[in-house]
Amino acid sequence: MAKEKKPPVLPEAGQWPDKVAPVALVAGAVLTTIGFLLTFLWVPPVVGASVNGAALIGDSMVTQQLLLSQKIFYFHMPVALVSFIALVFAAYYGIRFLATRNARFDACSKVAMEISLLFIIMTMITGEMWTRFEWGVWWTWEPRLTTYLILMLIVIAYFILRNAVDEPERCSVYAAVVSIVALIDVPICFMITRLIPSSVHPVVLREGGMTADMGICLAVVLVGMLAVGFALYRARFGQVRLGQRVEALKDALEEN
Amino acid sequence: MAKDYAKATAVAGRPAAPSALRQFSVLLRKDLTQEFRTKEMLVSMVVYAVLVIIVLGVALSFAKPSQEYLEVCGGLLWVLIVFTSLLGLNKSFSREKENGCLEGLLLAPVDRGAIFLAKAVSNLIFILLVEVLAVPLFWFFFASFATPAETAWLSVVPLLVGSVGIAGVGTLLSTITVNTRGKDVMLALLFVPVVFPLLYACVSATTATLLGGEVFAATWTVSLVLAAGYDVIMILAAWVLYDFVVTA
Amino acid sequence: MTQPPAIEAAKVSKVFGARKALDKVSFSLPQGAFLSVFGPNGAGKTTLLRILATLSKPTSGDVRVGGVALKEQPDAARQEVGLISHAPMLYPDLTAEENLMLYAQLYGVENPRQRVLELLDAVGLKHRRLDVVRTFSRGMTQRVSIARALINNPSVVLLDEPYAGLDPHAVEIFDELLATVREGRTFVMVSHDLDKGFAMASHLLVLARGKVVSFGEKEDTDRAQFEALYRETVGMGVA
Repeated sequence: MAKEKKPPVLPEAGQWPDKVAPVALVAGAVLTTIGFLLTFLWVPPVVGASVNGAALIGDSMVTQQLLLSQKIFYFHMPVALVSFIALVFAAYYGIRFLATRNARFDACSKVAMEISLLFIIMTMITGEMWTRFEWGVWWTWEPRLTTYLILMLIVIAYFILRNAVDEPERCSVYAAVVSIVALIDVPICFMITRLIPSSVHPVVLREGGMTADMGICLAVVLVGMLAVGFALYRARFGQVRLGQRVEALKDALEEN
Repeated sequence: MAKDYAKATAVAGRPAAPSALRQFSVLLRKDLTQEFRTKEMLVSMVVYAVLVIIVLGVALSFAKPSQEYLEVCGGLLWVLIVFTSLLGLNKSFSREKENGCLEGLLLAPVDRGAIFLAKAVSNLIFILLVEVLAVPLFWFFFASFATPAETAWLSVVPLLVGSVGIAGVGTLLSTITVNTRGKDVMLALLFVPVVFPLLYACVSATTATLLGGEVFAATWTVSLVLAAGYDVIMILAAWVLYDFVVTA
Repeated sequence: MTQPPAIEAAKVSKVFGARKALDKVSFSLPQGAFLSVFGPNGAGKTTLLRILATLSKPTSGDVRVGGVALKEQPDAARQEVGLISHAPMLYPDLTAEENLMLYAQLYGVENPRQRVLELLDAVGLKHRRLDVVRTFSRGMTQRVSIARALINNPSVVLLDEPYAGLDPHAVEIFDELLATVREGRTFVMVSHDLDKGFAMASHLLVLARGKVVSFGEKEDTDRAQFEALYRETVGMGVA
């Protein structure tokens, strides 16, 4: 190959994952739909119980309608997991960026963070529904809710920070550092809110194990959501890189 | 002339850079000299602390003073500490930026970890100094009518552990935000959520000491251990990441 | 034994994303030279200076200062370099002496106190040594800044727009001081002042878009020709 006439190095995207992404999107959509149907048609409402009228489960009065609200759980938990996985990827690419100073990894980290934010918001919405119908309150400083609120705030701060730094490389370094700090902070936050017995708030959690069919349903939705998250990530990544490519081409044109 | 070159460029003739510990103490002394000369940071922090106390006073003015106050006091005390430290942390790095001094330090063969530790320790000293004034004041205004449990004096421990974490994490974050637009708000945006777990543990430990008895037995140890764990992990992380942040 | 070059840059690049702040910059500067770096805004002058000062790491390429490789021995290289920029890098609330003592101790200078007094004497500010830097005029601050940059007796002195914000009188004093410390040191200056840069230089480097447009000794360069080249490159930056 003629190596002499190498075009200027431009930001690229679209290796093999981009070919997989559309398939992943379809698979994700199918799987989540199947999961959605399963939750209503196949999985029993609550651990082996079906209620006529009202009954006392744990410490709270429960009606059939309330038990239906439990279905949201099958979306809430996978969405929450995906948002955390996206955060792990953001921090992972953050570390790789700090090690290599390759702008590509910064774009990866940023897009992963965006996906994380999207799924965090979905988590908060589904979580709110759950809290309202299952626990009967709009908000409680329960460990998982608190952790996700904090996570959401850090991720929002991450994007505000990115907008507040002018020099591109400095911005990327700061963003990478914050993504790593976020990944360390969030599990600590969960541990601390979980392990310290709260003397003020009543424990509203109802204990209950998961049956096998619940687990299967959950797994189906989780895989589906992961596929959707991945496809969204690739789509957005391609878009970001194309934008950067346009900027680079503009620069190159100006030069000649 | 050739001799001059030889003298100027002889690497072997150069004194070795001082140890990181020595550099740490030089940098720390620089921060303390500066602050005790101008008292800019300390005065503004103390005044701000008094203002927060006044605002808290208004917030509580329609609640009946009673023994139950103690349940809230620990939390309010930490409101005071967080906001006051935030102010100080913002100041501590704008001073380094003012004349490009931070670059001057980076030009020298200084261990980057020493810069972090010196700054974190000086911030810790200032926060603790302000607490020495502000905490008794807080007590005087809010809790003098209630009788706390005998364990109340132990609240010094969470205050110390919390301040260490705030200074450590705050130093990393304020180094980041000093280079951003709207740095004051930016620091708060990053600092409050990141320090939240520490705050939670410290409020729990402080409340435990004030209430004593059953609450103390149930939460004191676990809160303190977790707060200390947060300190260790976050300060280690901040120390590792500092090199990237300060040279960015 | 031949002297190693004072500064040796081999294919130094600083790249972020698609933007190349420096693109394979190579040059070699003999000891005792005075290099003036010219170029339009954004040509990479400051980036080059920051790399030479070890404030920034090149993406690729090697730099040696006084025979020391920046990559392998950054701390040893830092001992060889002093930087005078438009920011004085002095703490306004410390006295001139305290500021210099701080840097002397960070560099591990032997007999720091003696060295500090010597330098303050040299820049003519010994009588103000106990005054806080905040009370100094711009010109005086810049003189202390010279003392600061020389505290480690560097073999290479970098000047980043040192005249910015100085009044003509202060410029005069600054030039005189520079002449006294000129001996035995290599200088690299980034400045927009073409006349000054040309007059002082022994070597000239013109950068545009991160690339070396021209590098050579002044003797080989015709002033008028150089000026034409300079206008052209600066014009490039504006377009």
